[in-house]
Amino acid sequence: MFGEKVIELIKEAERNRGTLDQFNDETIRQIIEEMHVLFKLNMNDANSTTENKSLWTTVQVRHSALERNKRCLLAYLYNRMNKIKTLRWEFGSVLPPDVRELLSDGEYDWFSKYSTNLATYMRSLGEDIGYHGIDLTENLRPPKSLYIEVLCVSDHGKFELEDGDVIMLKKNTRHFLPASECQTLIRKGILQQIV
Amino acid sequence: MANYLSITDILVTNEKVPCKFLHDLPKMGFMDPSATEDDLKAGTNVEIPIWLAESLHARRPPLVSVELPKIYKETYREILNADACTVDMHKLGQYFYELGCYIAKYDIKGEVATTLIDTFKQRFRMILSASVSTDSITALQPLSTSERDRTAGAVVTEKALSGWLKRGDCPLTTATMVANHRKRKRAEMEML
Repeated sequence: MFGEKVIELIKEAERNRGTLDQFNDETIRQIIEEMHVLFKLNMNDANSTTENKSLWTTVQVRHSALERNKRCLLAYLYNRMNKIKTLRWEFGSVLPPDVRELLSDGEYDWFSKYSTNLATYMRSLGEDIGYHGIDLTENLRPPKSLYIEVLCVSDHGKFELEDGDVIMLKKNTRHFLPASECQTLIRKGILQQIV
Repeated sequence: MANYLSITDILVTNEKVPCKFLHDLPKMGFMDPSATEDDLKAGTNVEIPIWLAESLHARRPPLVSVELPKIYKETYREILNADACTVDMHKLGQYFYELGCYIAKYDIKGEVATTLIDTFKQRFRMILSASVSTDSITALQPLSTSERDRTAGAVVTEKALSGWLKRGDCPLTTATMVANHRKRKRAEMEML
């Protein structure tokens, strides 16, 4: 039956809505191969329909299968693209190596370009009123207080504050820090706010 | 085509419907599991995915005629009309409403459409009342996929609303995708 390989791919995407999977090179290659075969069969049969009129129905069926495969592949890529967009907002412009290897080369190119675009846009904001850009990925929630208490959940190493102080972020240590400076680390899951 | 890139719509259109072929299909015998010949004869009844059925039905002249799957037929419609809330939607059809929207076109009398709306109205009331009270979600009859999503959405909204009404402060949290990625990595580590 047609279009079964491609459904595997789609189901995989559906199962893990919240995370990104390894780019499925192998399955995609198989699907494209299937499409090449279908296309060739169709070309042969379409050329011979002049003698044998009854073949046109078969051509139609295969054509539908081709369109279906195309649709599923596009949907797979599109959904991954949306997730990669989220990666930029949640992991920042530099991806950790274990996330980086989930992307295909083409996707990584796209990520870099998206990242550059976003950075250029953020730099351009507020130029007319004398600011030098705003980081839109910060302050996603209104801050309730200037300083917050945080717990460090994984070893991060040295961290320099804006006033020049350097603190050591070691696992299970508590700190009292300006909210503006530690929120990025909280979003990356290195710190945790203590309420 | 609507929802061209939607994963859900692709899964919905993968559901099978019974069809009758109106023309001979040379070399397509493999579509009918019980057939022994290479060619598929006109008049054969085969279950094919609805994406294929839709596109073959749309050809001029149409290659297939689509029939109603059994869960949209008279017998099941009677059960649903009697009391939709007691039905196990998970078993009946994961994509009951979505598939129904496709199927409704092929029902000339329009009864499928009415059943869909009535079923939705009855079950929506049940889901809504269950999701604003805190305890009874698990007590519900198994739900279809879209109903489950809707329930989950309702619970989140309800929680957000009550948090806001209490003027609670919203602590900064780890971004969802980062958290999910971690969780999964941990699960993989444990499996090794």
